[in-house]
Amino acid sequence: MIPHLFKLIWNKKKSHALLIVEIWASFLVLFGLATLIVINVGNYREPLGFTYENVWAIGLRNNQDTVSIADKQQRILQRLKAYPEVESVSRMSGNFPFSANQMNNGIEYNKRKAHPDFYVTDEDFAKVLDIPMTAGSWYRNVDSVGKYKPIVINKKLKEALFSDENPLGKVLSDKFRVVGVVDKFKAKGEFMSDKPAIFELVKVNETWNDTMLMRVKPGTDAVFEAKIVKDIASMVTGWSVEVDYLADSRKNQHNLVLVPVIIALVVCTFLLINVALGLFGVLNLSIAKRRGEIGLRRAMGATGSGISTQFIGEIWVLATFAMLIGLLFAIQFPLLNVFDVKAGVYVTAIIIAVLIIYAIVTLCALFPSRQAALIQPAVALHEE
Amino acid sequence: MIHLKNIEKVYRTSTIETLALNNINLDIQKGEFVSIMGPSGCGKSTLLNVMGLLDEPSKGTVELDGQPVTQYRDKELARLRNQKIGFIFQSFHLINDLSVLDNVEIPLLYRSTNGKPRQEYAKEALTKVGLGNRMKHFPKQLSGGQKQRVAIARAIVGNPDIILADEPTGNLDSGMGNEIMNILQQLNDEGATIVMVTHDEQMAKRTHRLVRLFDGTQVL
Repeated sequence: MIPHLFKLIWNKKKSHALLIVEIWASFLVLFGLATLIVINVGNYREPLGFTYENVWAIGLRNNQDTVSIADKQQRILQRLKAYPEVESVSRMSGNFPFSANQMNNGIEYNKRKAHPDFYVTDEDFAKVLDIPMTAGSWYRNVDSVGKYKPIVINKKLKEALFSDENPLGKVLSDKFRVVGVVDKFKAKGEFMSDKPAIFELVKVNETWNDTMLMRVKPGTDAVFEAKIVKDIASMVTGWSVEVDYLADSRKNQHNLVLVPVIIALVVCTFLLINVALGLFGVLNLSIAKRRGEIGLRRAMGATGSGISTQFIGEIWVLATFAMLIGLLFAIQFPLLNVFDVKAGVYVTAIIIAVLIIYAIVTLCALFPSRQAALIQPAVALHEE
Repeated sequence: MIHLKNIEKVYRTSTIETLALNNINLDIQKGEFVSIMGPSGCGKSTLLNVMGLLDEPSKGTVELDGQPVTQYRDKELARLRNQKIGFIFQSFHLINDLSVLDNVEIPLLYRSTNGKPRQEYAKEALTKVGLGNRMKHFPKQLSGGQKQRVAIARAIVGNPDIILADEPTGNLDSGMGNEIMNILQQLNDEGATIVMVTHDEQMAKRTHRLVRLFDGTQVL
């Protein structure tokens, strides 16, 4: 029966061309959306590599004040450490976790190149964010005296530059020496892909690294926030102070990822509803036009359920034609490694898109095909 | 072979009730060639549909090879139609999107006959009706007579015991009609039981027996 259906649809391909294009377009849109979702779900399932609860980021801006900035920053740092509500404090660059800022640069080892994100931090950074080390140790302020800047890298960068080689003690770009390795560091939240990262020791006199990352004791609230803002303002007149809770910043980052996905999902849903309604209408019309054929098939030995199955089979064949054309496009993505996304992601997205298309066309065909099954053969033959 | 007992068929709508067949008793023996005649609307096609298990009688019983089939379920009726009965219609009922060969294969599809033998049987049937050279053609490329021959090939491809023909020459000129009638007679000579609805006295005269209907009642 299947070759018969293929033949039937193939012989009617001109009249089905529009439907095939509709299903083909839906398949490609679904493939794109499914890829986006699979990538994000895959990222979400990977750990962040640090903890963010009870961590606050205090952004300091010296504004018009240009006198002894580094000293003032150090005084603020020491003051923050002195609060009993504070567990630990670290000074770092403006690209603190979940912020909108990003810094990256090229780096090289033995002709292998990478383009990691750079985070300039002090010795307490790992402690504040509770980052576990997988090799070596986090740098200390005293390490700054050496010829090379001490750096900690993440596993992704280690794989990119060293493969199976031990990275500890190795010099990168004739400038940095690796002292430690951490597993992951997804600074933009769970939906971020695990990208190469470097943590570089901040110099005491580098005044532009003016964010204080602070872990407070659980239960510490906005009253304390108001207190430190007031205290800092009294220490450094004319500076502005901004406090971000990492938990809130994380939500903002999630929204940045989720909103476009949700919009795409809504658009795609409307598109699919349109396609489904179109299919439904075409099938209904097709059954009305093919009552004679239905009667004939019943006379030749088809059962009511056989007729129903035939109509569902026809729409499956039609969907298969459309998706085969779509697959020619979709399969290029894993083959050409487009957007540097793993082939498995594209393959999963293709499978999801195929299953959804089959589910939609089946749903659309169910009612008309049941109607077809109910047609009395004698009546259908007589009408013809 | 076919035994109809006290067959009554009533069509009901919300406002009207039409008695299409009234107390029909008919026996058709194996190898018979029976024609059914009567004015338009007298119930000829309804009677043929009841015999062909396409329509259920409102009253009475239909027996096929001694087996009462009136209470059979859809699946069993479909199997009987497929294996025991071949249909020929006035308007041919060919599927325009399928080639002649594919059209003839249809009854075998519902028998799950494999592709190769299915094609062989269909070719054999087409050769028998003189259309061995038109297998790849589509119905739109054929004349009325050729279309009816395709329909006959489709009716006989499954080797059914009974052929039910509803005005098989009704849409054809007399020359073509005679050709079709010759084929039916040949099939009858080979052992097929044929019941044919016709308006044409000349065609009816060429059959073994004539059944006349008037207003749903058997008059002869």
